Amino acid sequence: MSAGSGSGRAMVRKAGPLLTVQDLGRRAGRRQGLAPGGAMDQRAALWANRLLGNAPRAPVLEVTLGGAELEFASGGIVALTGSGCSARIGGAPAAAWRTHRVAAGDVLSFGFSGEGLRAYVAFPGGLDAPTAFGSASVVLREGLTGALGRALTDGDELAWAGGDEPGLARVPPDHVPVAQAVTDLPLIPGYEWDEFSEEDRETLLNTNWTVDPASDRIAVRLEGPALESGPESLDSTPLVDGTVQVPGDGRPLVFMRDRPTIGGYPKLGSVDRWTGWLRLAPGVRFGSFSPIRTKSWSAFASAPSSLASDGVTYPCRIAAPS
Amino acid sequence: MIQFPGPSAALVTLPVPADEAGLLRVLELDLRVRDRLGDLLLETVPAFNRLLVLGDPMDWDRGKVEVALAELAQAALEADPETLFASNLDGARAVVELPACYDPDLAPDLVELAEGAGLTVAEVTALHSWREYVVLATGFAPGFPYLGDVAGELARPRHPSPRPLVPAGSVGIADRRTGVYPSDGPGGWQLVARVPRAWFADPEERVARFQPGSRVRFRPITPAEFEAEGG
Repeated sequence: MSAGSGSGRAMVRKAGPLLTVQDLGRRAGRRQGLAPGGAMDQRAALWANRLLGNAPRAPVLEVTLGGAELEFASGGIVALTGSGCSARIGGAPAAAWRTHRVAAGDVLSFGFSGEGLRAYVAFPGGLDAPTAFGSASVVLREGLTGALGRALTDGDELAWAGGDEPGLARVPPDHVPVAQAVTDLPLIPGYEWDEFSEEDRETLLNTNWTVDPASDRIAVRLEGPALESGPESLDSTPLVDGTVQVPGDGRPLVFMRDRPTIGGYPKLGSVDRWTGWLRLAPGVRFGSFSPIRTKSWSAFASAPSSLASDGVTYPCRIAAPS
Repeated sequence: MIQFPGPSAALVTLPVPADEAGLLRVLELDLRVRDRLGDLLLETVPAFNRLLVLGDPMDWDRGKVEVALAELAQAALEADPETLFASNLDGARAVVELPACYDPDLAPDLVELAEGAGLTVAEVTALHSWREYVVLATGFAPGFPYLGDVAGELARPRHPSPRPLVPAGSVGIADRRTGVYPSDGPGGWQLVARVPRAWFADPEERVARFQPGSRVRFRPITPAEFEAEGG
């Protein structure tokens, strides 16, 4: 193991329900049927890397539904972001949306707060992870060699290359997502939208949908009234991120990162791909789409320095501890 | 018809049938789109009679894209069929020949499909392997080809509920399409043959093997040959 500044190692003591290596996913490959893959909450993953001065696409850990425990073999700084992230370091509560100093032997553990689903941990320089098809992300349903070709399990070793000592930092408070009773999803109507009845379209927009716990990285399944007026038979059509599809049972689903690339059921459009899935309950509403917000998150992904123009210093530094 | 189903995506549906002739028009459009809009594209996805154009959100200019796509779609529809063929006559049009074993032990729907069609297993084998197919789309799983069209006698709807595990290499039929499962996974197509698993062992290879426009032929092999190729 090279001894670069800030390089380090940790062991997965407990993986919990689902612990995976993710980056922003594959930029291309839809043409061959490859899922986009990547962090479900891309904003949280971006912030985790940003806090450490990492490249936006650096591999991070995605912790699903808590339960994970990491034991550090070496000290250093890590970043925690995301929701449902009731983390502790050495037994003491560790807030999300900021970096923390850990010492060799420290244990970082995640409980499940119930406020959200996924937390992210970034490491200086990014996790060492092999890439395939241009990404370190694991798409479990594909059985292809992603990072490890599988989810992490108890006993797995993690390593990171390190980088410049980043110092402690936090995300500006006004950029930390606030818990909402109902998640608003901006819908772009499209695909077979016009072929659904007026009544079904209104039902889609006026219902407080409940998120089915069977939702996963492939799709968020929604419970509510059935939509049944879509066209009967379709040739499979290429899907975009966030496509809202209505399968045979009439319950809409929203395709997420590990989605298929084409789909043959009727579709109503798509939701903003930068909308992280912050909360499981009580639900989801479809609202109107604002291109400005998408543009600003895209700017964040591809050109972090451009953000300085909106007057906020990213990220905010925390005074160095004595 | 041009739609914008995502913030930096356009979906062009050409007024052509979802068959080989239609796909060639779509591939013609694909070439022209990549030539004209290359700088602002992330990727294009041709499938049947449609082309999905995925742009870089930072450079996406919906007005500019709409004008260009309308013009290019018209040009692709009007292109001389001779030129159309020639411009697509590259590696993507190579014929992929797959050894396939049409044996009831390997293909659980073979006997029932034959009986339903009033054919023998040998006749189904001959009808399915006689045609050269064209990849009309890839998707569902990485490297899964939607091949068209099978002989009308062989067309059967997919199973109402998918099997939880279809082995890699299984050859299926759904309506007028046939396809090959490149990896183990759930699937609802009517299984009529099996290609030796070794053909799908290498992930990079199995993802890249079938491109829209590629041609595919199945070469019947015996169960002994199937075993000899690694089963």
